Amino acid sequence: MSSANVGIGQRPSVGRLGRLLARFAFIGAFAILIAIFAFASPNFLTPGNLSNVVEGSVVLLLVALAMTLVVASGGIDLSVAVALDFGAWFSLAAMLNFDAPWPLAILAGLAGGAVVGSLNSFLIVRLGVTPFLATLGTLFIGRSVQQIGTGGGGNVNFRAAPDDFRWFAQGEVFGIPVDVLVGAVVLVIYFIILERSVYGVRIHAMGMQDAAARVAGLRTNRYRVAVYVAAGITAAVGGVLLSAGLRIFTPLAGFAYLLNAIAAVFIGASMHPRQRPNVPGTLVGVLFLGVLANGLDLIGLDFNLKAALQGIVLVIALASAAVVSRLSREA
Amino acid sequence: MTSAATIPDSAPRPWARVRQFLIRRGPLLVFALLLAYLAWQSPVFLGAWNIQASLTQAAPIAICAFGLVAVVMGGGDDVVAGGIDLSVPAGAALATAILSDQLTNAGASFGWAMLLAAGAALTVGVVNAILVTRIGLTSLLATLATLTSVVGITRVLTSNRRINVDDPVVLMVRDGQVLGIPNSVWLMLVAGAAFTFLMHQTAFGMRVQAVGGNREAATTSGIRPRPHIAMTFIIAGAAAAVASLALVARGSGSSPGVEDLLVVDMLLAGFLGAAFSPRNVVTIPGAMLGAIFVALLSNGLILIQVDNSWILGLKGVLILIVVSAAALQSRTR
Repeated sequence: MSSANVGIGQRPSVGRLGRLLARFAFIGAFAILIAIFAFASPNFLTPGNLSNVVEGSVVLLLVALAMTLVVASGGIDLSVAVALDFGAWFSLAAMLNFDAPWPLAILAGLAGGAVVGSLNSFLIVRLGVTPFLATLGTLFIGRSVQQIGTGGGGNVNFRAAPDDFRWFAQGEVFGIPVDVLVGAVVLVIYFIILERSVYGVRIHAMGMQDAAARVAGLRTNRYRVAVYVAAGITAAVGGVLLSAGLRIFTPLAGFAYLLNAIAAVFIGASMHPRQRPNVPGTLVGVLFLGVLANGLDLIGLDFNLKAALQGIVLVIALASAAVVSRLSREA
Repeated sequence: MTSAATIPDSAPRPWARVRQFLIRRGPLLVFALLLAYLAWQSPVFLGAWNIQASLTQAAPIAICAFGLVAVVMGGGDDVVAGGIDLSVPAGAALATAILSDQLTNAGASFGWAMLLAAGAALTVGVVNAILVTRIGLTSLLATLATLTSVVGITRVLTSNRRINVDDPVVLMVRDGQVLGIPNSVWLMLVAGAAFTFLMHQTAFGMRVQAVGGNREAATTSGIRPRPHIAMTFIIAGAAAAVASLALVARGSGSSPGVEDLLVVDMLLAGFLGAAFSPRNVVTIPGAMLGAIFVALLSNGLILIQVDNSWILGLKGVLILIVVSAAALQSRTR
């Protein structure tokens, strides 16, 4: 919306401070939220709790990064939920049913994500189905496959998973949990590719003006295939981490991450001067959602009230950040 | 959106004409073939009872989808930057909860309960309108946020419990028939006609479509986009209010979590409807057809005794076939 007001034609002269304020208004709202939680609960600002928030956000971060990539390319991927499930399921099942060594099991999990991404790219690039409907179809099919494969939706238990596999969720390197490190590495890779490389420029170009990108000689189809496959694999990494931590696969568990991943991407986009999805913004969005859920838990609210407040706080934070950023852009 | 439908150069050879017909009518043909197959497999499928049950099921989906279509028309069909309203089912569920709570727990009259319910649904629409047109959030983010809030508010209001309703007006919508057609189906048909008129026949509807098709061009020709886009969200709120009546009748009250499935079905009906339109854009009649298709398919698969685990996947495959046919059609034109 406001991209239409700002981006085209007139470029309002903005002071340096105004631009900073415009960019970081949401982070200001985030800081206020943290202050409120710190005030309301003494346990909130403890190192133990904060590292809980970070570690608890890793899986959502991976799903949200996958979504960032797809949205930047001008599409949307509802099937990341299924890619996550397949990553979790295939990695456990490979070890449990086929006695695969753990590195192979991880590869099987990632392959599950790649299959989901490949099906999406086939539908979108080959058949020309819109990303929304294509990935919705994949989501439906993927959910059915899980129900069929688990005999109607029963859990897959593998309590005796090898220690090397569990290390990905429970191990530490230099005092940092391994899953947080995995998340950080993927985050950096995404940042470099999407925000600092020519590939990122091309993907954003595709997302903004597909026809123009094609006229300029970009092989958008190839990029689109790569984008959906990479998104599937990234979400599957999240699934593998989930399995390493829980050692149980619950069918359809990935769906819970879908709306939050979309919210994180669009929170991030709302902080961008031209409302584009971007990797740092997605990180802020993921952390915001993690802090919000954690803080409301700590205050000890009723389950139903918590659900309501989660949405209302999100609306207020987004709205106030948008108003502040527009006012400072106009100032 | 903007490309005018060009008539393909005339092909004198008969097979070319057949091919063109197949491609142009592809989605509808696939649709018809599927229904024919289901009818062949299950003798009950085309029975009056099943048709009525499917249409009754389709009613709330279709009415929510009307609201969605209005928003998509005004915002453009780009999922990321365009118009979308995910909060319609949540608004309908909130209105259903208020309606049930007022009728059963507060002993209110139907008129008063419906007024409160409609007020709540419209408020959701107004909040969306403000968030998108005044504050400048993208509609996907704004309506996702209101969706979460409204679902939470509904939970607080109902303590996440079911509320039964046996109000005579609601029972009349549920059980009554006029000319052999259930009243909630009439509700869908009348709402469909009203929305079709508003969005496809009036000057207002044309202006909304102009804004959605090309905002710069619409602005240049003197249409102010913001009031029109704001209005579409309020229209979506009104659709949610009407849908709540169909919902309360379908479920004989309010059940927690009803919005979950409804979001997916609404989006499916709305965007599937585009496959039935000649220019591959969302339309109100298309959305109604889409909702009926989804409901008939769900019921048909149950009737031919497909295993429960397979149903969603088959639905996904069949929908992809219809949508691929539509994509093929718009590509070859």
